[in-house]
Amino acid sequence: MVNFELRRDRIVARWRDKKTEWVIEPRYWRNPTIGIGILFLLPFFVYSYPHILTMITTANLYAAIAIPLALQMLGTGRVNFGPQLYLGIGGYTAALLNLHFGWNPAMTLLATIVVCAGIALLLSPTTWIAKGLYFSLITLILPLTFLDVTYIWGDIFRGEVGLVGMSPLLSFDKVTWNYVAYYYLSLILMLLYLLFCDRTVRSRIGISMAAVNENENVARMMGIRVDAYKVFFYVAPSILTGIVGWFIVHTFRTFAGVTYLPLEFMTKILIIVIVGGRAFLYGAIPGAYLISIVEDSLRALGPVNYFVFPLVLIALIVFLPRGEGLWGLYKKRRPRDYFPKLHVRRE
Amino acid sequence: MLEISSVSKNFGGLAAVSDVSFSVKEGEVVGLIGPNGAGKTTLLNLICGIYKPDRGSIRFDGTDITGLASNKICKLGISRTYQIPQPFESMTALAGVLVGVLNGKKRSHMSLPDAALEASYYLEFVGLFSKRDTLARDLNLYELRMLELARALATTPKLLLLDEVMAGLNPTEASRALDMIWSAQDQFAITILWIEHVMKIIMNATQRVVVLQYGKKIAEGPPREVTADPKIIEAYLGARYAQH
Repeated sequence: MVNFELRRDRIVARWRDKKTEWVIEPRYWRNPTIGIGILFLLPFFVYSYPHILTMITTANLYAAIAIPLALQMLGTGRVNFGPQLYLGIGGYTAALLNLHFGWNPAMTLLATIVVCAGIALLLSPTTWIAKGLYFSLITLILPLTFLDVTYIWGDIFRGEVGLVGMSPLLSFDKVTWNYVAYYYLSLILMLLYLLFCDRTVRSRIGISMAAVNENENVARMMGIRVDAYKVFFYVAPSILTGIVGWFIVHTFRTFAGVTYLPLEFMTKILIIVIVGGRAFLYGAIPGAYLISIVEDSLRALGPVNYFVFPLVLIALIVFLPRGEGLWGLYKKRRPRDYFPKLHVRRE
Repeated sequence: MLEISSVSKNFGGLAAVSDVSFSVKEGEVVGLIGPNGAGKTTLLNLICGIYKPDRGSIRFDGTDITGLASNKICKLGISRTYQIPQPFESMTALAGVLVGVLNGKKRSHMSLPDAALEASYYLEFVGLFSKRDTLARDLNLYELRMLELARALATTPKLLLLDEVMAGLNPTEASRALDMIWSAQDQFAITILWIEHVMKIIMNATQRVVVLQYGKKIAEGPPREVTADPKIIEAYLGARYAQH
């Protein structure tokens, strides 16, 4: 017989000699759990509006680009202005291999990972030779160059119209099911990225990574292989971003460099990172949802959108706490350390 | 233990360090003194691999460490503190020391909690355990210097390079810091190469001093003898004082 007991801040359940407690006081709620729960339940409320489902799928994908970007910023100590380069590379690799060679999604995923890793490794020495504004400028120019390439070799990349008709990951008879399925897939992808990045930040690698982010010379003097760290944290997030490109190719079944490579897209991602907080991985999720809701609600206004969207974004940057973002508002009363506190028992 | 032989370093036309040779034996405390701009900190940077010497060689424990990367030098057992404290500002004191514990030598199987426990030992040693969860940017100068000492000790060095630990500390804090360094030398069996401007401390703490001026070594010996040398007084205070 299970006994329930209501205390001031918790419900205690007893069964024989076992006891479980569930804390009901709001400040002890595991907020990430609740947030993820809400995200999982969202389609049940909006499943009859495919328009909204597409919007929140896009929001998940934005977050899936912004989370590795935040990890990259932490790990290399540099602001990458061109994360969408790898989105383009991953997307085009998957799309071209699928269209011309008939590779199935699993094979194109592998190819995407290999190609992104290769190119990221080739470009990773930029983290050694450049820092600050110079690194940002180098990374800013790369996706724009790639965009030009898609125009120049238009017969391969189809720069302006984009590639269409790639094979889908899943396909159901009912269209709504497709939308819901893709929402869940994107959500799982985003949560996997969050899990990976969060685990990395909280591991012993994360501690050393934070030191590299703080002061490279001191970190090197304390025995950290700074160069290796910077290469790893340049390459790994690049691969993750490339996989998002693969995902876009096989779910939306259309991929155009002109959508993902220009400055506008980069601005969106950077603003998600800024709004969500520069160093907080979780912040990317509310940031991404906010941006895609703003973007979507302004789309109806037509051409005004081009003026209002930047204004709204500037307002968001100005009125949110500097560098801390939405997640910073939530975290404000908590210690902002890189590592959970060491609790010493006094008994 | 540490042998520096005819090391030179030029920055453009300026000879920051030229033809300096001396050695540090195991268990010794050696002072490195000289007027401002004499090349003391440059010499320290040459030892710990921040700069590469133009000429000459540096050997540590029989290994040639000339021009080696800082992280390898650290793994061999050399650690340093900075003249201007360079803490990891937005990391807590404990996390800062933790970096040293995890990376100072190869510890592939140490878990994060174990490392935190060891880091807290070093923090307690320098008397900062109660500040373990304070961000480094909120610490005062004395605490920052102690944090640097804890961080340097956490990498388990054999040779500790101290760069003006006493600068900016009041007499009470300075004597506390001195006690700390002495007990660190006792407990962890380390050799110390110490740059210092406070002569009183150098006189008491070191067995031997090396004097640099304009990048050249002008004297070496026990502190009492060296400070009695008119050449040294001239270097510090000018020729007029040397006559008196």
